[in-house]
Amino acid sequence: MLSEVRFDGVHKIFGAETAVEDLNLTVNAGEFLVLVGPSGCGKTTTLRMLAGLERPSYGRILIGDKLVNNVSPRFRDVAMVFQSYALYPHMNVYDNLAFGMRARGASKDLVAQRVKETADVLGLGKLLKRRPSELSGGQRQRVALGRALIRQPQVFLMDEPLSNLDAGLRVQMRAELSRLHQRFRVTTVYVTHDQVEAMTMGDRIAVMNNGRLQQVDAPETLYDNPANVFVAGFIGSPRMNFVPGRLASSDGRTSVAFLGITTPLGTGSRLTAGASDGEVTVGIRPEDLMWRPAAGPDCTLTLSADVDVVEPMGHEAYVTALCAGETVTSRFPPRSGVRPQERVDLALNPARLHLFDAQSGITILQRPPAAGAETLRSVGEARTNDSAGGRSERHGQPEARRVPSRTEEIS
Amino acid sequence: MSAVQARPLAGDKLIVVPYRKVSAAAMATNLVLILLGCFFLLPMLWMVFASIDSNPDWAIRIPSPTLANFADVLGRADALSSFRSSLILAGTTTVLTTLLALLSAYPLSRMHIPFKRPFMLVILFASGLPVSMLVVPVYQMYVYLGWLDSLYTTALFLAASSLPFAIWLMKNFIDAVPVELEHAAAIDGASTFRILREVVLPLTVPGTAVTAIYTFINAWGAFIIPFVLTYSPDNQPGPVEIYNFMGSHGLFKFGDLAVFSLLFSVPVIVLYLFMSRYFSGAFNFGGAVK
Repeated sequence: MLSEVRFDGVHKIFGAETAVEDLNLTVNAGEFLVLVGPSGCGKTTTLRMLAGLERPSYGRILIGDKLVNNVSPRFRDVAMVFQSYALYPHMNVYDNLAFGMRARGASKDLVAQRVKETADVLGLGKLLKRRPSELSGGQRQRVALGRALIRQPQVFLMDEPLSNLDAGLRVQMRAELSRLHQRFRVTTVYVTHDQVEAMTMGDRIAVMNNGRLQQVDAPETLYDNPANVFVAGFIGSPRMNFVPGRLASSDGRTSVAFLGITTPLGTGSRLTAGASDGEVTVGIRPEDLMWRPAAGPDCTLTLSADVDVVEPMGHEAYVTALCAGETVTSRFPPRSGVRPQERVDLALNPARLHLFDAQSGITILQRPPAAGAETLRSVGEARTNDSAGGRSERHGQPEARRVPSRTEEIS
Repeated sequence: MSAVQARPLAGDKLIVVPYRKVSAAAMATNLVLILLGCFFLLPMLWMVFASIDSNPDWAIRIPSPTLANFADVLGRADALSSFRSSLILAGTTTVLTTLLALLSAYPLSRMHIPFKRPFMLVILFASGLPVSMLVVPVYQMYVYLGWLDSLYTTALFLAASSLPFAIWLMKNFIDAVPVELEHAAAIDGASTFRILREVVLPLTVPGTAVTAIYTFINAWGAFIIPFVLTYSPDNQPGPVEIYNFMGSHGLFKFGDLAVFSLLFSVPVIVLYLFMSRYFSGAFNFGGAVK
């Protein structure tokens, strides 16, 4: 039973504060949508409205074809995993799992059968007699997940379910959640503030900030073509470098000047808005800003910079440097031997630049569709993995434990 | 003080006990506490000794043991009927107070109510009012209503006077039950009634027990309200009876007084021990929310 979820002009206003503003969002049937943003951006409020714990101030929320604005949580046929798990402390695991089915009047035999199935899926078989206080964090997490799974609801809601786990367990559960979703294909809305979770788990990612939806796209699209400065800065770690720049046009070609250099826009790229002259914000991802000796032939631009801090990560190093008065972060190979105060040459592929309107922060550069992929391949060894994989690696997770992300399967 | 010692306890549980360091400050603290304890314990010691002394008086001394005092008190009809009265009075008060406190504390804890904070402060203020202040107008009211000299109507006023504090107590206990559990149950498809019965009530049992026991102990020892509102000998609860022991015939029967006081404090001591267990161990929502 796959249902789509639709937010139609939804607002949520608490007193003088607007938590969610004019949200229009469709979660496709069977999709894993990640709602991501900094704390207080309205993502949890959105989820709670979908669960029925909050009522939207304006707008409509639909699950399937059914308008649910005034439907109590009880009758929405959604299941939710809470950040705190919210297990019933006075019941054992069996009763925790069975509670929802019993509340819906399922027969004893059916309950027993489904509890067994669910416990098997999650490896809880030996723990059924235990109370939540006798479980480890990861086991509690599984019980919370099982309580949602057992009901076979139309929609899964997850509110930062992994944030209370330690790092190792978090990676493991991330994989497990992805596996479960691939197996059951239930429409899922997953709230997190962790962009790694968003990138690795989501079919699509919806980025929110200040109660407003910023962009909804597949992880790679979001990463390669962020709609505005906020999305560009939020997705990707370390954060994208932003430096002031200036557009100028001569002979019908537009070029951009920044960090003391000037470069024409890549062939096929075109400006979507604004005049061709004016202030812009130039965005450069740290992995696009490389050490000259390690850079490929596409990196035609060279910048001179003074190293400030070197952060070795083992398989690579991040170097913060001062370049034409701006602090920029760049990715170096490991053991480059570069030291603070040293002057280095940085290399940059002009096709990888991001341009944003300096005032509104909205992207003004439209790249040819293939440009991103081409660059990916040409950079070669630096970016062997898909973007999601490359990133999770950077966070120090062993490759073997990683979730096979959807991109890898496709490619 | 990093040294710890692992002591095996019942079953497989290990309890880690840090070594104690005896410092001058700790000794001084203990000395003061022992001194204060003596102040409270000496009267009780007198009570115990006098109860089994064949010829007790004001002094605390090693008794010449006898059970005559016990036989004497247990043979007195008024002593036994005062136990019955106290039981009715405190029992009725406890049931009324606990039930009403639970019902009013739940919405106060969970729902958005306008002016909730000022309302709670008024309740707190009311719980601090001395009842003796109210005794005269209440007496007049009871005369007017024809409610005097009944244990049940007296319990009504006792319940009213203990209710404010009980509501505060209950509200805090319900506050401690994570509201997310109720949300989870609602999303799980449970009705409001089912949520209350299967999630909220089981988790507030310790709090309800503490409120009930606290109310019972207070009502058990209440003196001035029953003293004013009841008069027939059959309706005199224990504390009033003790007063009668002391002043009835111009002479003190120390032995009887001590025995009665001793017997009368037994329920309180038992309940207190029971409550302290609840206070220390029962508030465990472990595993509910991280």
